[in-house]
Amino acid sequence: MLEAAEFDDTYFQTTDGDIAVINLESARRRSWSRFYQDPVREGIAETIVEQEQLAAQFVGDLMALDRLEFLAKQLSQANFASKRTALIEARVASTMHRFAEARRHLELAEISGASEADVSRLRLSIDQACGADLDRVLAERRKAVAKSGAIEDQVALGGLLADLREFGDADRIYKQALRNYSDVSPFPVAWVCFQLGMLWGELVLEPEVTCAAEWYEKALERLPSYAKARVHLAEIYLSCGRAEDAESVLIPALSGGDPEVHWRLADIMAVQGKDADAQMQAARSGYESVLERHPLAFADHGAEFYAGSGGDCRRALELALVNVANRPTLRAFEQAHEMAVAAGDARASELLIEATERWGGSVGFRLSSLAKCQLEKWEEAIA
Amino acid sequence: MSDHIDGPRQIGDPSSDLTDLFAFTSPENPAHTVVAANVFPTCGADAIFSNAIDHSIVVRRAKVAGVGDATKFETSDPEIRFTCRFDALERGPAGQKPIQRGTCTLPDGQTLQFITNDQKGAATPDGAFRVFAGMRSDPFILAWLFGGGMRKFQNLLFNDNVLCIAIEFDTRRVLDPGKGSLFAVIAETVPRPRAAAFVGHEPPRLDWVGRPEQTNMRLNNEGAGVDDLRDLWNQQTPFGIDEKVRPLFLQRLKDSLANWDMRDGKQDWTPSALAANANMFLDDFMLFDVAKPITDTSHLEIEKSTLNGQPYQTGGGRTVDADVIDVLLTWMVNHDREFLEGGTTKATKPGMRNFPYFAEPNTDLQSVAESVELGAAPERVWELIGQFGGSWHPLIANIKLIGAGIGQLRVIETIDGKQIVERLDALDNSARSYRYTNIGGIPASDYTGVLEVKPKGVGSSVEWRSQFLPNGPGTLITKTIVATLFKTGLESLKSRF
Repeated sequence: MLEAAEFDDTYFQTTDGDIAVINLESARRRSWSRFYQDPVREGIAETIVEQEQLAAQFVGDLMALDRLEFLAKQLSQANFASKRTALIEARVASTMHRFAEARRHLELAEISGASEADVSRLRLSIDQACGADLDRVLAERRKAVAKSGAIEDQVALGGLLADLREFGDADRIYKQALRNYSDVSPFPVAWVCFQLGMLWGELVLEPEVTCAAEWYEKALERLPSYAKARVHLAEIYLSCGRAEDAESVLIPALSGGDPEVHWRLADIMAVQGKDADAQMQAARSGYESVLERHPLAFADHGAEFYAGSGGDCRRALELALVNVANRPTLRAFEQAHEMAVAAGDARASELLIEATERWGGSVGFRLSSLAKCQLEKWEEAIA
Repeated sequence: MSDHIDGPRQIGDPSSDLTDLFAFTSPENPAHTVVAANVFPTCGADAIFSNAIDHSIVVRRAKVAGVGDATKFETSDPEIRFTCRFDALERGPAGQKPIQRGTCTLPDGQTLQFITNDQKGAATPDGAFRVFAGMRSDPFILAWLFGGGMRKFQNLLFNDNVLCIAIEFDTRRVLDPGKGSLFAVIAETVPRPRAAAFVGHEPPRLDWVGRPEQTNMRLNNEGAGVDDLRDLWNQQTPFGIDEKVRPLFLQRLKDSLANWDMRDGKQDWTPSALAANANMFLDDFMLFDVAKPITDTSHLEIEKSTLNGQPYQTGGGRTVDADVIDVLLTWMVNHDREFLEGGTTKATKPGMRNFPYFAEPNTDLQSVAESVELGAAPERVWELIGQFGGSWHPLIANIKLIGAGIGQLRVIETIDGKQIVERLDALDNSARSYRYTNIGGIPASDYTGVLEVKPKGVGSSVEWRSQFLPNGPGTLITKTIVATLFKTGLESLKSRF
């Protein structure tokens, strides 16, 4: 494995993260202005979708999702039943994890004559997010990387390989993406660094937290506004007994309003013996607010919160079941099963059976917590 | 658009995206020449330059090496290169915008420091060079729609801003026109090279521009080919297109120009003239002659006259106010048979007579404030209107709250069926005021509203005010919409108290 230091700024310059965020915000607002001027003009709504997705992903601006909903509704009113509208509605629905709805819009876009490449690209992302037909998705992802070499294709392939527990290959693809990158936008670089942090900190069977922390730090060097990277880095610092460092990493992300930032900060303050009630209350109301507005997009995050210091394992299970029904990936089954077990809920067995039927033949399943449970059950039955 | 958003890589980082290039005689000083390049199309109010890019404007001596169907312009070294670099932001005192410093390296190697958005720019002590960099109103005019034929339209870049680099210099000292007065100019954006570059090769070019519309209208003409060649083009070396890909680009230009020729249903170009035109456009640089007048209408005249077998009469180039799209379309569509004028020939703002010659940006913050005096005590009035989701306004048919506390949203359906979404940013019940931002539904950006009830004599005064950057329909219409909403709401309170 290559060290994160290999990708230091000495070798690899991108636009300063603060400048990039100011420019994104500036361009995003101007795009909305142009949208009001002419809602149906080609290219404007598409650009807004990209910019709002960047704002949500890299700036932790959760209102971006509300603005996207608004955009889809306005466009639908102005330009009902066009292929463009259908495609944009599909992208917005997919961003909110409303995958069934996204598929319906995609079918409409296809019938209306939308570009086959656009439809296929989004359908592939939805299939990957839902864990559907992953062998075909993997073949398509490899093909896309070989053809375009674009960083977004490489990250998508890396993400899929990580989902399939092919961790070495995922690591290789991510680093290849960094090496091949030749543009100056810091967003893709921070994204890859974050993915590498996730890979080594959370996905591999035996996490390497020092390595993961280096990657999250690299992501933040590129993009200090990257709230998700701050959250994950703070978790690692806290797990290593560095509560003060964890706190100072999280504080700059508080203004974004992401409930996970409040949650993790509450945990840190509790460890420090400080009064964490206000942060925990902000986390709880924040999660309920986003779950009311975008239930499918936040079901798994909400489940994690309530299974943790949110302290409501029934609510956690309820949300995890919503998530697994929406996107029956191996990871969603693992989460739901774990929460059913924690809640002492009989549905744990049903989830295990369903996960085995769906994923039992995969390498990922054999490496998962579900396989271990299944083995224990089998041994109990034998005994 | 001229060179706006001319490839997927520029969309990835719009601050690297060159929109337009200019070359003209200084309106302030006829002995000086101005070259300028703009980046970051539709950039919004706070945009700043990337600190990871070299922004260069490069001039080379040129000569006419063939006329008529054999038209050829040759350029020669040495390059006269101006390169601007920008620093990361410097945080100023609290409440003030951060500043960005920049450095321009001049052709003789000396450097000139400047501060971005300082309208005075910076000059060398001898006055031979002057540099400005900052946001300006986009002078580009595109007043046509091309889907399903050519249709006149309003300027599609109305109210847009760009980031502009304008460099003025002493013509005689820098260009030495005694050795020939014809020059070629391009602008390029390139990632800043690093001493020990990990990638192991020269950083690839992000974008470059010579004549307007090489990429978006000529190379990316959907009627002439399906493959998007713009990124490949943008990575070519200006003044030196790779011989291996020249035939690919030349064929695309021929197909594209043939397609443009037939946009009015008439063929105005003979095959040989069209081929000569394609060859000329393949060598993509803007020509200007410092010994002849460069005017608002002289753009492309050097190329056109030479292709027509005539000596050119003007200095060509491109001024701030030149309506280059109409000049170009007329040439490509009907070979100058009849001038094609779009929906307007004026940019949002005209250029200026004084340095830096590009008009100030379109960033005027607007405000609307309305108030009403009521006979009731402030507490009673606040009880009715102080709820963020309260239903008291006669123009509101329905209001739905999402979430609770600061950050909650109200989704308003107006009686004429429009939807407005707003977010609560601050609430102070003791001061009887709340502040909110508009998420959607008002044609404005950066919209902040405040509703406040204050004691006034034995009664109260309700004030409702907002600040915003008007969008779309224009300042007057947006202000009217907001003022009507405020006035009608406040007036309705009179009958209640």
